[in-house]
Amino acid sequence: MASVDIVNVKKSFDRAEILRGISVRIQDGEFVVLVGPSGCGKSTLLRMIAGLETITSGEIRIGDQVVNELAPRDRDIAMVFQNYALYPHMTVAENMAFSLRLRGTSKAEIGQRVARAAEILGLTTLLDRRPRQLSGGQRQRVAMGRAIVRDPKVFLFDEPLSNLDAKLRVAMRSEIKDLHQRLKTTMIYVTHDQIEAMTMADRIVVMREGRVEQTGGPLELYDQPANLFVAGFIGSPAMNMLKGSVEIGRRTGFSADNGTFVPLPPSPALEGLAGRALVIGIRPEHLHIAGDDRDGFEVAVRIVEPTGSETQVTAIADGAEIIALFRERQTVHQGDTLRLVPMLYHLFDATSGERCATVTA
Amino acid sequence: MIKKSIPQEILFYLAVVFISLVVLFPFLWMLSSSFKTQTDIIAWPPKLIFSPTLHNYEKVFGEQDFLKYFINSTVVGGLAVGLSLVLGLPAAYSISRFTQRKLALFILLARLMPGISFLMPWYIIFSRLGLMDTYVALVLSHMLIALPIVVWIMSSYFNSIPVELEESAMVDGATRQYAFWAIILPMSGPGIITSVTLSFIFSWNNFMFSQVLSMEKTRTLPIAVYNFVSYAEVDWGGVMAAAVAIMAPAILLTMIFQKFVVKGLTMGAVKG
Repeated sequence: MASVDIVNVKKSFDRAEILRGISVRIQDGEFVVLVGPSGCGKSTLLRMIAGLETITSGEIRIGDQVVNELAPRDRDIAMVFQNYALYPHMTVAENMAFSLRLRGTSKAEIGQRVARAAEILGLTTLLDRRPRQLSGGQRQRVAMGRAIVRDPKVFLFDEPLSNLDAKLRVAMRSEIKDLHQRLKTTMIYVTHDQIEAMTMADRIVVMREGRVEQTGGPLELYDQPANLFVAGFIGSPAMNMLKGSVEIGRRTGFSADNGTFVPLPPSPALEGLAGRALVIGIRPEHLHIAGDDRDGFEVAVRIVEPTGSETQVTAIADGAEIIALFRERQTVHQGDTLRLVPMLYHLFDATSGERCATVTA
Repeated sequence: MIKKSIPQEILFYLAVVFISLVVLFPFLWMLSSSFKTQTDIIAWPPKLIFSPTLHNYEKVFGEQDFLKYFINSTVVGGLAVGLSLVLGLPAAYSISRFTQRKLALFILLARLMPGISFLMPWYIIFSRLGLMDTYVALVLSHMLIALPIVVWIMSSYFNSIPVELEESAMVDGATRQYAFWAIILPMSGPGIITSVTLSFIFSWNNFMFSQVLSMEKTRTLPIAVYNFVSYAEVDWGGVMAAAVAIMAPAILLTMIFQKFVVKGLTMGAVKG
């Protein structure tokens, strides 16, 4: 077990800059998820922690040791790859024993550790099989077993669930989380799937184009996104966003550039923002149907998608698409006109994208 | 596959038989001639019915020192292929993993250049070094045949092995060399079999290098065929019988490993 310190790490391939100065402190025993769209550099960063990519500049420490120049095998880390990378010519037991054998562990202890790992992951009956005789989920488990027999300082996961079907992915998600709670080892997990990040992480690092956009707990990112990118990336369905400016006076609200006017109750947070170019961000689940007490903005319903537990409504407001998510059952139909009010909204600076205010209405 | 009607089926097999005949004709001609007397061979019109004789084979295995040539060919081919594997497998691995395209092209160039252009310098170098008519000279020259085949087949084979396998091994505690040895090589059976089969056959069939660089002691099998050609006459029966005897091991080898050869050659063509 160890902490991992990433200090101003940069990476370039030829002239292309992949990482533009990343600093993250990962505590001992923490489950940190690196998340971002493809090409954001998250996998490269993970591979640099593993020692599979060189570090152009900056420093990576595991525990209190600088590992920049250390070969992967000397870093005492274990990694689970997206395609599992099981050794096809070895049985499940041999796959799991490989790293222990290389370290000169005694046969008796190897047997013991493999048996224990197999038990944790439910692989005991499969130990003599070869990878090609296993299903996707079983292979995934062997890949994890190969990592946990080692009892490494840090676990690295590179999109380990993206080759599984949806149902299995959900099951493995909780299995990995459960594993973390049992082992209490530092885990760094890379994914492009924000739901995976939200459900598994102690802390999420949102990355884009080689930079860290925001670091924080899942709910922190959801409640207080630092900027437009994080706001749009975290949460599903994604946050509704409209460009425009705040109006205070004859009527108070957000006047969007497309012509939509979102009436807002007066709030001290709005003063001082009037007249600036802003973006209003409203999560679909924060949109309610306007009652008699409050004025809403008008949308035309285009698609209604009930899932039983909730109803997702896709609507158009002056040409802009607005998605609303209702927990209660709704009797709305395509073509209906609804009046919506935001119960919570965020305001972002339109130029920098930084969040200026979050207001509960 | 679409089911064929019976006339289509008949046409299909007729075509197969016809094409096979065209391809196999020289071989069949050689085979039948090897059992004919010299007069029967040069008879016109060709004699399809004849009384077969083993006389030609008696000449090949009796008068000619066929066994010695056979051993020479085996030793030269075996050593050339073996050494090519020792040098070529790591080379192919490094070409594949570190994308050394220029190096790969350079090696291919050695294969594309006509072998005869190497012969003059070799002849001079080997005779100055006193290496004429030795296994050293022949093995080295035959490595020019075997090494590019090994490198080319194996580098595309290694390309088809996911790089994560050795990365995983390296994270697990292996050096790159050990990962290559313990993970990559054991998975490369089909590729290695393909390159060994092909390069061995090419070495086995090579005439030119042996003709120039070997003399009495190290002559290989194709020279045995040539021995039936003299200034006075060509002993066609002997030539044919020797050719059949030489071809047999190559054909046997191909038949055994055909499955792998096809798989190895098409490896990397389709991602799967």
